[in-house]
Amino acid sequence: MSGKNVRAKADGLTEVSMKINGRAYRGEVEPRTLLVYFLRDELNLTGTHVGCDTGHCGACTVVMDGKAVKSCMVLAVRAKGAEILTVEGLAHDDRLHPVQVAFTENHGLQCGFCTPGLLLSTLTLLQRNPHPTEEEIRRGIEGNLCRCTGYVNVVRSIRAAADSMAKQEVRGRS
Amino acid sequence: MSVVLEQTVSEPKGRVEDRRLLTGTGRFVDDLKMEGQAYMGIVRSMYAHARIKRIDLSTLRSSPDFIAALTGEDLLKEGVATVSQNQWPPQKPAKRYHLAVGKVRFVGEPVAAILVRRKIALEDLIEQVGVDYEPLPAVTTIEESKKGTTLVFEDWRDNVSQSADQKWGKAEDAIASAPNVIRAKLGIARQESVPMEPHSVLTRYDRGRDLYEVFATVQSVHGLREQLASELHVPEEKFHVKVMDMGGGFGSKGAQSYPEPLLACLFSRRTGLPVKWTATRTEEFLEAATGRDEYCDIAVACDKEGRLVALKANLECDAGVTGTQNHMSQLSMWTMLGGYRIPNVDVQLRVYATNKMPMGPVRGAGAPEGTYFIERAMTIMAEKIGIDPLELRRRNLAPRPGQWGAGGPAPGMELIDALVKESRYQELLKWKSEVNSRFARQGPSKSNVVAGLGVSFRSGGGADSGDWSEGSGESESGSGQWPTSEGEGAGDWRQSEAEGNPSPSWVDSRGEEATPTLDFTSEYARVTLDKSGRATVYTGSSPHGQGEETSFAQLASEELGTPLGDVSVVWGDTALVPAGIGTFGSRSAATGGSAVVDACRKIKSQLFGKVATVTGVDAKFLSIRKGRFSSTTQTQTPLPTLAEVMEMMGVTGVSAESYFRLSSIEYSGGAHLCVITLDPELGAVRVVKYLVVEDCGRMINKTIVEGQLHGGVLHAIGGSLFEKLAYDDQGNLLTSTMMDYCIPTAVDSPEVEVFHRGSPSTATLDGVKGVGESGTNVGYAAVMNAINDALAQVRPGARIDVAPATPEAISAAIATVS
Amino acid sequence: MIPKKFDYYSPSSLQEAIRLLRQNGEAKVLAGGQSLLPLMKLRLAAPTALVDISRLAGLSYIRDEVDYLAIGALVTHDAVEHDGTVKDRFALINDAVARIGDQQVRNLGTIGGSVCHGDPAADLPTALLVAEARYVLEGEGGKRIVPAREFFVDIFTTAVGHDEILTELQIPHLPPGSGSAYTKHSLRESDFAIANVGTVVTVEGDGKTCKEARIGFGSAGPTPLRAASAEQYLRGRPLDEATIAEAAERATEGANPPSDVHGSREYRLKMIKVLTQRSLGLALSRAGLTGSAAEL
Repeated sequence: MSGKNVRAKADGLTEVSMKINGRAYRGEVEPRTLLVYFLRDELNLTGTHVGCDTGHCGACTVVMDGKAVKSCMVLAVRAKGAEILTVEGLAHDDRLHPVQVAFTENHGLQCGFCTPGLLLSTLTLLQRNPHPTEEEIRRGIEGNLCRCTGYVNVVRSIRAAADSMAKQEVRGRS
Repeated sequence: MSVVLEQTVSEPKGRVEDRRLLTGTGRFVDDLKMEGQAYMGIVRSMYAHARIKRIDLSTLRSSPDFIAALTGEDLLKEGVATVSQNQWPPQKPAKRYHLAVGKVRFVGEPVAAILVRRKIALEDLIEQVGVDYEPLPAVTTIEESKKGTTLVFEDWRDNVSQSADQKWGKAEDAIASAPNVIRAKLGIARQESVPMEPHSVLTRYDRGRDLYEVFATVQSVHGLREQLASELHVPEEKFHVKVMDMGGGFGSKGAQSYPEPLLACLFSRRTGLPVKWTATRTEEFLEAATGRDEYCDIAVACDKEGRLVALKANLECDAGVTGTQNHMSQLSMWTMLGGYRIPNVDVQLRVYATNKMPMGPVRGAGAPEGTYFIERAMTIMAEKIGIDPLELRRRNLAPRPGQWGAGGPAPGMELIDALVKESRYQELLKWKSEVNSRFARQGPSKSNVVAGLGVSFRSGGGADSGDWSEGSGESESGSGQWPTSEGEGAGDWRQSEAEGNPSPSWVDSRGEEATPTLDFTSEYARVTLDKSGRATVYTGSSPHGQGEETSFAQLASEELGTPLGDVSVVWGDTALVPAGIGTFGSRSAATGGSAVVDACRKIKSQLFGKVATVTGVDAKFLSIRKGRFSSTTQTQTPLPTLAEVMEMMGVTGVSAESYFRLSSIEYSGGAHLCVITLDPELGAVRVVKYLVVEDCGRMINKTIVEGQLHGGVLHAIGGSLFEKLAYDDQGNLLTSTMMDYCIPTAVDSPEVEVFHRGSPSTATLDGVKGVGESGTNVGYAAVMNAINDALAQVRPGARIDVAPATPEAISAAIATVS
Repeated sequence: MIPKKFDYYSPSSLQEAIRLLRQNGEAKVLAGGQSLLPLMKLRLAAPTALVDISRLAGLSYIRDEVDYLAIGALVTHDAVEHDGTVKDRFALINDAVARIGDQQVRNLGTIGGSVCHGDPAADLPTALLVAEARYVLEGEGGKRIVPAREFFVDIFTTAVGHDEILTELQIPHLPPGSGSAYTKHSLRESDFAIANVGTVVTVEGDGKTCKEARIGFGSAGPTPLRAASAEQYLRGRPLDEATIAEAAERATEGANPPSDVHGSREYRLKMIKVLTQRSLGLALSRAGLTGSAAEL
C-alpha cells in the first residue's frame, strides 16, 4: 500500500499492523524483524515454524495476500497491511478444514513440524489448481521439506483434499 | 507360514496426536516461553584444530543486552565433568568439555556461551566475542588420522578410537582357492539426520528448591537427566526433564551429550533466569551428531554354485572427535555378517578420530552401512557369476535366518519370493531390457536414458540382551569385544535364552518386584484404569512422529477393552514417568509396547482375581470390555461391573507397572527393489519405482508402519543420491546450509509401495518387530545396486561404490572406464 | 539467522526511492527479497539501509509493444510463468522462471530483483542474456536503456548505478522461424545450476538452415556469457545432429566455471556441452511454433 513514505530507523522500533486469520494485530518491530519471528515471538502464533536459515525448508510458510510465502523471507515491516493466513486460521469453530481432515485421514504427517507450512502450500495449490496431477502436486510442495513421511502419504493427502474440496464445491453450488 | 494378523482393535483413521499438530497447537520446545526468559548463544570455533589463546569478552560486557558468559575455564571451576561417553562397545575415552578447554577440535565446537536479554540482539553479541586462536594442523581425513603425525587427543598415542575384529575359519586361504572372488571399495560419505526441527532447550532453576526444570529436544528425557546429573554432579532427582512435541530426531536427538542443555542449566543457576536456546540450521549442521562416513575394503569368495565361502574386509570409520554413542561401526560389522552363511570370515574394524564434529547414531546407526556393504558385494558377485541377484541371495540365506531372536521372523526366502511376485519382477526385467535396447540402438541422443534394477535384503533379527553388556578388552589393543562366535560358522554365534516365551517382568532374587536398571532391551510402562474405565498409559518411550500416542493407546484399548478415545498416553516427563529408555533404535513398539501390554495384563490379573474370588468363576475364563466383565462359561450370578469391583477392592482405580525386558529384540526384515533411470550424459538419476516387502510381525497400526518405511526409504535415497557433508582441507564444513546439504524434496521422491509378510514375534508381548529404521537400513544397497545396474548398460565395468552417487560421480565413473 | 541492523524505507514513489538511494551510499534496493534476504540472514550481506520498492505502483505489468515485450521490473516469477505471451513467444524465459526455486520463492521473487542481483548461477540472467533483453534504468537524471550485453558486469554486479532503479525489461520479439529453450542441470530440481544454457535458433524459410543462433550459459564465469564461436559456427549451416554436436563442442570457449562442492570445473564444462546440445535441439523443435508467417 503506497501513498505514505515509511521510514524506520535501524535502532528503533516501528509499528506494524496486519490482519491475521481475520483478526487485526499490531505490534512494534525492528526493521530486521522477520515476519516469522513477529508471528511466533510477538504474537504467540507458534504454529508457524522455523526449520532453516536460508529459506529452503518451508516450515515457515504462510499465506500472504493470497499467495504462499516463506515468512522467514519476509520482513515484518513489509507485511504491513497485509492479509495473512497461518495454520491457526484454517479450522473454524473446532471444525477442521478439508485439507486438515485429508492429512489426518491419510497419515500425511508424522512429527508435525513441517505440517503447518505444508497445509498452507496445499491450500494455495488447490485454490489455483483444483485437480492437480501427481507431478503438479509434487512441484507445488517442492518448497516444503519433510524428513519423516517420504512425501508418499503427503501426496495422497493432497489428492484426497482435492477430491473433498471439489465435492464441497459441487455441493455448495447445487 | 506367514500371515498378516488381523487386528483385534481396528486402527483409527488418523492419529490421536494429529489434531494439535494440524492446528498449530503442538508444543515444540521453541514454542514454549517463560516469563523473563533470557537467550543463550554459542560462540563457535572457526578452526578445526587450534589452541585457544584468549577469549575477549570486554566489548560484549559493555552491551546493555549482556547478562552473563561462560567459557571452558568456568566449566572447570564449576567442576563440570567431561562430555559423557558410552563404553559400549569400548572406545578410548575422548576427554573434552562442553566448552572447549585449551584447544578446539572441530569447526563449530563451542568455545564460549553468552546470555543476553533480547533474542534479536543475540547474533550481534556473539560477533562481539573475540577469540584468538593459534591454528594447529588439522586431521581431516582417515588417511591423515592413520598417520598419527597430529593427534586429535594428545593423551592418546594414536588416533584410533576403537578396534574390533571378527574372525573364524581361514578366510585368506579360502579366498585364494575360490573360483569366484570379487573385490570392492565400498563406502558411504559423512551424512546427518537433518530433522526438520533444530535442537532447542529451555531451562529454569528454582533456587528455593534447588530444582532444574528442563525442556529439551531429546529422544529420551531420562537419558538427558542421567547425563546432566553425572556431568553437573547433581543428583538425578533435582532435574525435571520434559519434552512434548518434537520435530523428528532420527538419532541426532537421542542420547548424545550436547553442550546446550548443560550450559543453559548453568546459566539458569547462576542468574535465576529461564534460559532459552534454539540452534540455527547452520549450528545444527555444525554440531549435530553425524553418521555414516564408513568405508569397507571387501573381498568375497563363492564356490562354483555361488555359495559364499569367505568374506574378508577392512572397515574404517571417521568418527570425528568421537561421540557419546559409539556402537555404529561395530553394528555395521555385525550386520554385514548376520544374514548369510559365511564359513570363513576375517573382518577388521578401525574407528578413527579426526577434527570433525562427533559421530552419533544417525537413523540405522551402522546397520545401513553394514547392510550396504554386504548387499552391494552380493550383487557384484551375482554379476560376476552371471546369475540373478535375488537367486544368489536365495542360495546363501543362513539356515535360521536372523539366527538370533526367539521370534522366528519370516524366512528370508519368503521375503525374496514376495518381492519377485509383488514387483512383477519378470515384467520389470522385460521393461528394463526394452529401455536399454533403445539406448543401445540410439545412443544418448534425445536424452535417452538407461534403466537399472537393484535389490537389497536384510533378514530380521536382533541381539540377545544377555550379551550386550559384555564388552571387554581395551580398545587400544584392538580386541574390542562384541559377542563373538565360537567358531562354528555363521549360524551360532549368539545364544538366545528364551525359546519362544517372553520374559516376565523383572523380579529380583527374592521374587519381588524391584526397580531394575533399564537398558536398550527394555522399557518402562505404567498403566492406570479408573472406575469409569478410562485408562492412562505412562511410557518411557518418547514418540516424535512414530505415533506411539496412538499405537500404545490401541494396545491398551485392546488389552483392557477400553474405547480408544478413553485412553490417553503420557510420555516425555521425568516427574510423571519415573523411568524410561526413550525412542530410538526401532525399539519403541517392541519394547515400549510390550511394557504397556504387560502392565495391562497385570491390571487384568488383579481385577480378574477379585472377580474370581467374588463370583467363583475361574479367572482364565474372564474378559473385560467397556467396564464390564464377561465369562466364556456359564455363570450363576451376574458378573459385577468394573466400578463395583473397584468398590469391593476399596479403590478408585487400579494400576500396574512394568519394567519389561525382552529376551531378544526383534528387528524387521526387508527385501527392497529399486528401479531407476539414468541419464548418462548428465549422470542424473531418477528413482521411478520402489518396492518394500517387509516383515515387522504384527502391525499395531499398519498406516503408521508404512509411513515409517516410506520415510526410512527416502532417507536412504537421499543418502544414496544427494547427501554429503563436505569439508575443505582445513576442516571447514562446506555444506552447512540446506542449500548445500541436499535432502530430497517432493519432486525428487518416488512412490514407495509396501507389502507385508510376517509372523509375529514371540519375544515381544505385542508381536511387534521394530521397523522405524528398516527402510533406511535396507535402502542404500537397493539404490546403489540399481545405479550400478544402469551403469553397466552405459559402460561395462563402470562402477560407483561410494554413496552418494551424485551426477558428477556417476559421470566420472563412466569416464574412468575407457 | 537474524540480519544485521538496517534503516528501512518504504517510499511511495519511484522518485522518492531514487532520492533515498542517492542520499544513502550503503543502501540496497529490496524488491521480493528472495535473493537478498537469505544473504542478509547469513550475514554475508549487510547493507545499512534498505529501500523497499516492492509496493511501488506502476512497475508490475506485461505489455506487448510493437517490437518487444515490456515486463515491469516488479512482475513476480510466478506471474511471468503463467503469462501466455511469454510462454508462446519466449519459451526460454518460461523455462527459466519455472526452474527458479519453488512456488513460495516464485510468488514473491521479481524478475527485476533477480537480474539486478546478478548471480551468474541464477536462471533469469542467462535466459535474458540470450533473449537480448534491454534494461530500462531510471535515475535522477532520467531514463536510460542498457543493452543486454552490457548489463551484467561482474559477479553480483550489474550496470545499474547506485542511485538507479531498473523499472522495465524489454524483450525484443524473436524473428519469425525462431524457437528457444532454457535448460538447467542441478542436483535437485530446485537447486542453483551446476550448468545452465539458453538458446534461440532462427531457421530460414527452407526449414533447416540456421539463420541465427544464440547460445548463452551461466555458472561459468562472473557473468552469464554468450558462446560466440559456437553461434558463429552455426550461422548458415543446416541444423542437424552433427552441426548441433559440433556447436556444443565449441560452446565452452570462454567458459571458466568454478570448482566447488556442487561441481568441478571439468564436469561443468562437460555439462555445458550436453545442455547446449539439448537446448539447441529443443529450441529447434519449437521453431515451427513461433513467429509463423501469418504473424508478419
